[in-house]
Amino acid sequence: MKKIISVSIIVMFIMTAFGCTHQDNNVIRIGAAGPMTGDQSKMGVDLRNAVELAVAEWNEKGGVLGKKIVLLAGDDQADPKQAVSIANKFINQKAVAVVGHWNSSCSLPASKYYNDANIVMISPATTNPQLTLQGFKRVFRVCGTDDQQGRVAADFVLSRLHPKRVAIIHDKTAYGQGLADYFKKALGDKVQVVYYGGIIQRDPDYKAVLTTIKENNPDVYFFGGIYPEAGRLVRQAKEVDLNIPMITGDGVFDPTFISIAGKSAEGTYVTFGKEPAGLSTAKTFIEKYRAKYGDPGPYSIYAYDAANIILSSIAETKSTDGGKIAEYISKTTFHGAFGDIAFDKNGDVTKAPYVIWQVKDGKFVEVP
Amino acid sequence: MFVQQLINGLALGAVYALIALGYTMVYGILQLINFAHGEVYMLGAYLGIIVLGVLTYWGVTAYSLPVALLITVLVSMAFCAAYGAVIERVAYRPIRNASKLAPLISAVGMSIILQNFVMLSQGKEYKNLPPLLPSEGFSLFGANVSPVQMFILSASILIMVGLQFFVAKTRLGKAMRATSQDRIMAGLVGININQVISITFMIGSSLAAVAGVMVTLYYGVVHFFMGYLAGIKAFTAAVLGGIGSIPGAMLGGFMLGLIENFCASYISSVYKDAFAFLVLIITLIIRPAGLLGQKSVDKV
Repeated sequence: MKKIISVSIIVMFIMTAFGCTHQDNNVIRIGAAGPMTGDQSKMGVDLRNAVELAVAEWNEKGGVLGKKIVLLAGDDQADPKQAVSIANKFINQKAVAVVGHWNSSCSLPASKYYNDANIVMISPATTNPQLTLQGFKRVFRVCGTDDQQGRVAADFVLSRLHPKRVAIIHDKTAYGQGLADYFKKALGDKVQVVYYGGIIQRDPDYKAVLTTIKENNPDVYFFGGIYPEAGRLVRQAKEVDLNIPMITGDGVFDPTFISIAGKSAEGTYVTFGKEPAGLSTAKTFIEKYRAKYGDPGPYSIYAYDAANIILSSIAETKSTDGGKIAEYISKTTFHGAFGDIAFDKNGDVTKAPYVIWQVKDGKFVEVP
Repeated sequence: MFVQQLINGLALGAVYALIALGYTMVYGILQLINFAHGEVYMLGAYLGIIVLGVLTYWGVTAYSLPVALLITVLVSMAFCAAYGAVIERVAYRPIRNASKLAPLISAVGMSIILQNFVMLSQGKEYKNLPPLLPSEGFSLFGANVSPVQMFILSASILIMVGLQFFVAKTRLGKAMRATSQDRIMAGLVGININQVISITFMIGSSLAAVAGVMVTLYYGVVHFFMGYLAGIKAFTAAVLGGIGSIPGAMLGGFMLGLIENFCASYISSVYKDAFAFLVLIITLIIRPAGLLGQKSVDKV
């Protein structure tokens, strides 16, 4: 009797295993990858929602190449190791293309796997320049890069804030440290960098490093990193009496930053793309997104455009071959919700309009 | 700036010390490392933010901030004491006489359960508390001592003195010390061991709750994973001071806070955790029982 039970259990397992590997060939699979759990989860969920919206729109019109589009969501937890395993999962599931990942530290290792497996990858948010300098033909991004961003931040600091002394901190990640380094490089020797150092992500206490910065008496400090850390930094800066403005990058551009820091966030400068609400093309997207998921996140519109670029390229090339799709993407100008998008030979967008934003009365406002 | 670093370090150390007391008390009485203790601290922080939210809704915070803070601390302590007692009853008492490894694994399991419970019920996102107290405090040798830091330092010192008095002078404290020396013998002379152990867990957990509420006020953010690192740090503090020793836990906590702050400011902010653990290793090489720990003599 026992034997029969154990055999039947084994058979059941094998059957479910077959059930998992069984693939429906009449659909086209698109991946969406980003941190969907953990402290950066809002970004991954924003990304997935936007891709889901684009996929739903295409499916309403009858899918692509006569096939239904299926969205595969992958949670990389902002962890490089997890990102690679998500990449392998997508490869096994025979995804045609992927929108993702969000973090630079995740996109960089995952991009190799996608490229090798003939899968097109478009990152909506990875700004580390290295991503598109690896010579991968199937890797693109629809946002700007950190060297552009660092240059815009440095120009702004030099021309508008006229500091004599600058402090720079970063969160030791591929994104944060990269951005901090580009900012430092763009500053050149025009100002004195009095402090340069890293902080630990998820550490609740940054008072020690802030007190050291205060001791060095800078006029402005730059932070390369993401909003949870930035929120705690500006909040604790006020507590150690460090009353100088922070300037930081696109990873901080989220309302959560202001809700963590409260009043201390006031006056913080952030580099980010132009306000999409001002663009007529973005209007329909924002309305649709809001009706389904609430307010779009800072990168939702980028993810939406990335998904549309992929799907329209599949439709135009009538192919699911990554190489063909990539070739088409690199040669075409797309009319996305965020305006016209064209790619250079590396896979970067030809124009990346970074502007400076500032927190005023609890909101991000574009600095004229 | 040295004074500012000193104050920052002491405030951080006070939090570590409060959590470390829970570790050391439980270890003293059961020779068990209660790895779920960091999660109790996390629960305390969440309760702090919830109770403060309710009180603000009722208008108590606007009426009087000290009253609201006092209620928050007391409610959070009560809830965490209950959590502590339940954790002991569910996870440790049934296997108290099993091999030493079993309760340890049970503790790790309990910690995972609590973490996931909070993650599922409260969400994965950071919960924020807007700053309630002003950041400008009084100036001491050019350093800014914020009201939160004053609150943390005064409350924790008061609690530690109270705890020392409780253990040294009261009947229950005596019963606790007796149980920690010899559980079976204490039972034979009429001490209700189960009750004493429950009370030890409750006291340790309510101290962690105070630490949790303080941290909520101090940093303004809570997260379901915050108990893990804080638990490890507090455990380090307890071992540094000599695990099982109550003054040792206090000393270890303050030392760890200061070491972290001074290393972060004068050596490298990136490796501050590494330095904290380096000091622990060096201490343990020189004094294996910790700074104030007693050499364990084999009981014959």
